[in-house]
Amino acid sequence: MNEGLSRAVDRGLAACHTCGLVSPVDIGKCPRCRSRLHLRKPDSIQRTVALMVAAAVLYIPSHLLPIMTVVQFGDVSHNTIIIGMKTFWKEGAYPIAIVIFTASILIPFLKIASLIWLCAAAAGRVRPSPSMLGKLYWFTELLGRWSMVDIFVVGIVVSLMQLGNYMTITPGPGALAFAGVVVLTMFAAMSFEPRLLWDRLAERTAAADPTSTQPKP
Amino acid sequence: MSRRISRTRIAKATWPKPPGEPRYSACHFCDTLHLASPVAEGTAARCARCGALLYQNRQASLARASAFSLAALLLMVVVYLFPFLIMDAASIRRHLTLVNAARAMVAEGEPLLGCAIVLFTMIAPFVLAGGLLYVCGPLLFGRLLPGAVRVAKWMHWSEPWNMVEVFLLGVLVSLLKLSKMAEMQFGTGFWAFSGVMVCLAAAVAAIDRGELWDRMEVAKS
Repeated sequence: MNEGLSRAVDRGLAACHTCGLVSPVDIGKCPRCRSRLHLRKPDSIQRTVALMVAAAVLYIPSHLLPIMTVVQFGDVSHNTIIIGMKTFWKEGAYPIAIVIFTASILIPFLKIASLIWLCAAAAGRVRPSPSMLGKLYWFTELLGRWSMVDIFVVGIVVSLMQLGNYMTITPGPGALAFAGVVVLTMFAAMSFEPRLLWDRLAERTAAADPTSTQPKP
Repeated sequence: MSRRISRTRIAKATWPKPPGEPRYSACHFCDTLHLASPVAEGTAARCARCGALLYQNRQASLARASAFSLAALLLMVVVYLFPFLIMDAASIRRHLTLVNAARAMVAEGEPLLGCAIVLFTMIAPFVLAGGLLYVCGPLLFGRLLPGAVRVAKWMHWSEPWNMVEVFLLGVLVSLLKLSKMAEMQFGTGFWAFSGVMVCLAAAVAAIDRGELWDRMEVAKS
């Protein structure tokens, strides 16, 4: 389908991860910025899966444990992310409830699900079109950081609400777990190698028609 | 005289390419190899196979990157001096600053979360803006300061961890959360941090990564 277009890997060339310079992979380090050269990010699928599993495991305590503990006139109440969201919803603050739902529940979940799907595709287990997956990957990388909003809210509220006997708010263990989910999913998205998706496509077209994707001299 | 004008026009239209054999550009997405031919100012080169952006030639890239990163750095000083929110509750007035938020987390037994706040809202934006200025400012005069290559690498690493806009959303959510139990006011810090967000986004978007490294290579040789 794309005759006349050859991949850098077919000529033993690697684009530097940092500065983008294309050099022969044999020289080891990028001559321009001294970063290590790889044809593909090393052990991309294993690393991504490992980070995703860790994130998925932390996702459970991050929603079960309280992210904030409120002490008001001696009454102690523990707030999880879901309880906080429900409170906003009941009070009629729908936009903010939706923001919290999207950032804290939907995005981490979608991110874990889409990276598992991407890893399956990169390993050749499923065969959707790479350009569709590319958009999914781009979206995953773009959205992940917004989940951090809940951690910042905890920090802001804890810092302001130190009112002695009237009201004190302290962070709960759920906050640390949730921050772990966000950081781990961000590292997982970074360690994923989107070029593997196109490698699988190239292998399939080569298998279907051995003459079409011969590397050009 | 006329020759000089035409030469500056060419220099303006494309950034100077490092000498040597023809340069290639490989799509970061599908690894398709392209000859890296110069593109006109204001246009971009896209991958012939998947359509992903290869590189682009931004207008007045160095000047804009330097100016916006300098503006972001100056606004950061304002951010550190003035509070984001001012809260009055139970006859106590409290101020929210980035340092206070981080310090409260450490004081309440979550030092890692305190570090996360410092890293994502102070260190990463500072490295990004400071790095861009350190590299792009001298490049305006065709020079490189010592360690520019290392600074440029730190800059690229810090980019995904810059969460200025996420923190601003957090301030808004907290404001709505607390407004029913306390009197809340926006402080100068909030507006300054909004300015940091805009200036940082403009500074990062002002110069293509490939152009930055090409220019650094030319200035070094």
